[in-house]
Amino acid sequence: MSTTDASGIPASASPGNKRQVTREQGIRRFKWTVLTPLILLMAFLLLPAFLLQGYFSFFAFSIFDAGDSSGFSSYFKASEWVGLDLWKDAFSDTKFFNAILRSLLFSAGTTVCCFVLGFGLALLMYRPFRGQGFYYVFFILPMLTVPIVIAYTGEMILYQNGPLNDILSRITGQRVMFQFLYAKEVALTTIMFLETWNWTPFSFIIMMAGLASLPKEPQEAAQILGASKLRIFWEVQVPLLRPVILLALILRFLEAMAEFPKTWGLLQGGPGSATETIPIYIFLNAWQYFDISYGAVLSYIVMFLMIFIIMGAIWLLRREKKNLDDMYQAPNQEG
Amino acid sequence: MSEKNPKISRRKALKAGATAAAVGAVGTAVPGKAIAGSEEDAIIAAAKKAYPKGQDLTGIMWSNYQRAVQPVRQEFAAATGIDIKKMQDISVFDIPARAMAEALSKSGEFDFFHMDSNMIPSLASAGLLEPLDAYMKKANFKLNAVGDFAKLMTYKGKTYGIPTDGNVMVQFMRKDLMEDPEERKAFADKHGKEMAWPETWEDELELYKHFYPRYHSGNLRDRGSSMAWWYMYLYSAGGFPFTDDGDPNIDNDAGEYAVETYLKYKEVSHAEAPGWGTPQMIPRIVGGNVFACQYWDGIIALAENPNKSKTTGKWAYGQIPGSRHSGKLLKRSVSTPVVSLLVNKHSPRKEAMAYLAMYTATGKNSDIVTGDRVNTFHDPWHVDAFKDGSLSQTAYTPNGVQGINDCLQVTCPALFVTGLLEFETELKRNLSEAYTGGKSAKAVNKDTTDAWARAARRIGKRRLREEIATYKSLMPTRDVPA
Repeated sequence: MSTTDASGIPASASPGNKRQVTREQGIRRFKWTVLTPLILLMAFLLLPAFLLQGYFSFFAFSIFDAGDSSGFSSYFKASEWVGLDLWKDAFSDTKFFNAILRSLLFSAGTTVCCFVLGFGLALLMYRPFRGQGFYYVFFILPMLTVPIVIAYTGEMILYQNGPLNDILSRITGQRVMFQFLYAKEVALTTIMFLETWNWTPFSFIIMMAGLASLPKEPQEAAQILGASKLRIFWEVQVPLLRPVILLALILRFLEAMAEFPKTWGLLQGGPGSATETIPIYIFLNAWQYFDISYGAVLSYIVMFLMIFIIMGAIWLLRREKKNLDDMYQAPNQEG
Repeated sequence: MSEKNPKISRRKALKAGATAAAVGAVGTAVPGKAIAGSEEDAIIAAAKKAYPKGQDLTGIMWSNYQRAVQPVRQEFAAATGIDIKKMQDISVFDIPARAMAEALSKSGEFDFFHMDSNMIPSLASAGLLEPLDAYMKKANFKLNAVGDFAKLMTYKGKTYGIPTDGNVMVQFMRKDLMEDPEERKAFADKHGKEMAWPETWEDELELYKHFYPRYHSGNLRDRGSSMAWWYMYLYSAGGFPFTDDGDPNIDNDAGEYAVETYLKYKEVSHAEAPGWGTPQMIPRIVGGNVFACQYWDGIIALAENPNKSKTTGKWAYGQIPGSRHSGKLLKRSVSTPVVSLLVNKHSPRKEAMAYLAMYTATGKNSDIVTGDRVNTFHDPWHVDAFKDGSLSQTAYTPNGVQGINDCLQVTCPALFVTGLLEFETELKRNLSEAYTGGKSAKAVNKDTTDAWARAARRIGKRRLREEIATYKSLMPTRDVPA
């Protein structure tokens, strides 16, 4: 943001300049004081893991060759230089490619569903009313339920002879025998449904916070000018909420990409490979096959993919913030 | 034999065991007066010699298996001071991955893992397991199992496990339905032959079709445990998963027969079978929805328990079907998971654990463990469990133990090579894709062969070649049960 005073003279040239620069320096110093321990902690905790993972992605490690020798060095002795072989394997691995597609589909689908429902609930709830606290707690309950419990509860509800089909049968008057779990065309959608139920409260909370923090003046002004509620929503509230919406979407998407407990607890990647998403596939390779090196390569690829997504998200967030700042600044400059 | 009139009650057996243990303890405590008696005494004497002050142990065991072992464990603790003080409760299906993680960390925290002995090659290769032969020699202990079952505990000539559970696949048939005159007539009218115990998979399928959809097959077709059926189909067709050279050997006639047989049962299985494991199928079996199945023998005790089953007295147990695909009738059952006590090589208390493991596997104690009527997860494997008047016979019925005995004679291991989890998971994925998505048997075998070849390269062909000799030596020598 530029620092000009009302006369158009740059702030740095004004008499208060010296004090302001000192204050900025102080803020910077404070930031670094707070951040440095965190950065060091991250470096000590994460960097060795990254480096080790990097090492084993080029040196194939086999637990079966570690044999009887003990000590940290035995892991290195049991690994063999393979260069880019494992990376080539990963890029030609159709099962991995399919897992990425499934994860992207799963995450995009559940993100949109969670957001639409969460935003809807937030719109209903953000103005104070009698009993609001009760509903608030009620709506966030799914998020407080352990995902593995959701998996098993979901299994009981979704059996072919389970209560959901029974309710549908009573409503339609026909015997509904829908296969929610074990038809390969439907299985991923079923997990998406459970994920949506589990995490809609997350979007709800973010959107509630966003709506509650909206400045009242622009809305009141629009109201005085005779704008309808729908128009106020689309033309005042939504534009102001854009950074919050984007944040809710991004956080939910990243969280969904990592979904494991419900998928594993309910279907273990099946039926067939219908629910074999990225976390399931990496788990199989690292913890069932004990192919640590290949697991490291897959993890790196996913990490790069996620970095790419996050960078895109940060760019979008910055753009939204800038747009919002510009929007606020324009009337001020005009004034 | 009914529950109300057992020849030997559990209480009596426990009392006798406790007395024997106490006598043994006293005997060994008095120098020069050691009683050269039961195998239990010898184990207690060896344990007391190695650990005069006793020893606390820690391990991983699924809670379903813990209760039945408790009386024997307590008896051993009273006699030697060696006892399991802490147990981590993990499902037996999850312990293999956990044990592999322990192998990776080379930790001595856990003294034992109670898990599938088919994991012995992987865990021994990863340097986790302690060979038990030296301790067995000290305690003058031998595994006295039916048929060749004890061989499943060995790898490259060394013993690495002590079984607590036979866990063999047995044929279950609803005898009330098989004996129903109307059903018999209807079947005879349609097929021109009498309804009879199935000799082959094709015979069994014919019977299933007669009763379907009133009753469905109880054979599993989920991605988790249905591998057991594939093994039976492949082995009975004369197939073997690897060549002597360590290459995959399933993309052939026998392999195709195995997958096609696996898929044919879709016609007579419940629509939700692709997702049903044991928690879902067992209630169907004991609840009366299933006409027949091959199933783990522990379910016999459950099915014959009137407090837990609607089908008590309605089942007949016996030999599983086989196949004439190889030109002669071959019947092959499978034992997986064979739940056994495996001792951690890195544990400083491994010898104590070895003695405790042996103590659970003596004739008398094994019968107490496998004869528990409530906790039926441990199934008979010891020769003594099949003798008249054994607790196991009471729990499993005379017909049940006969069926178990028959099937143990022709039982086979799962893939007894390093990398079991990887090989099985790749096959499971392909089988499940075929069952739910129409992938052909040929494609299943081709895709599995490709995945196995990659795994074999990683594990090492030389290692696999050596292991395949062991694996082959575990296969039964009989074509059909005696």
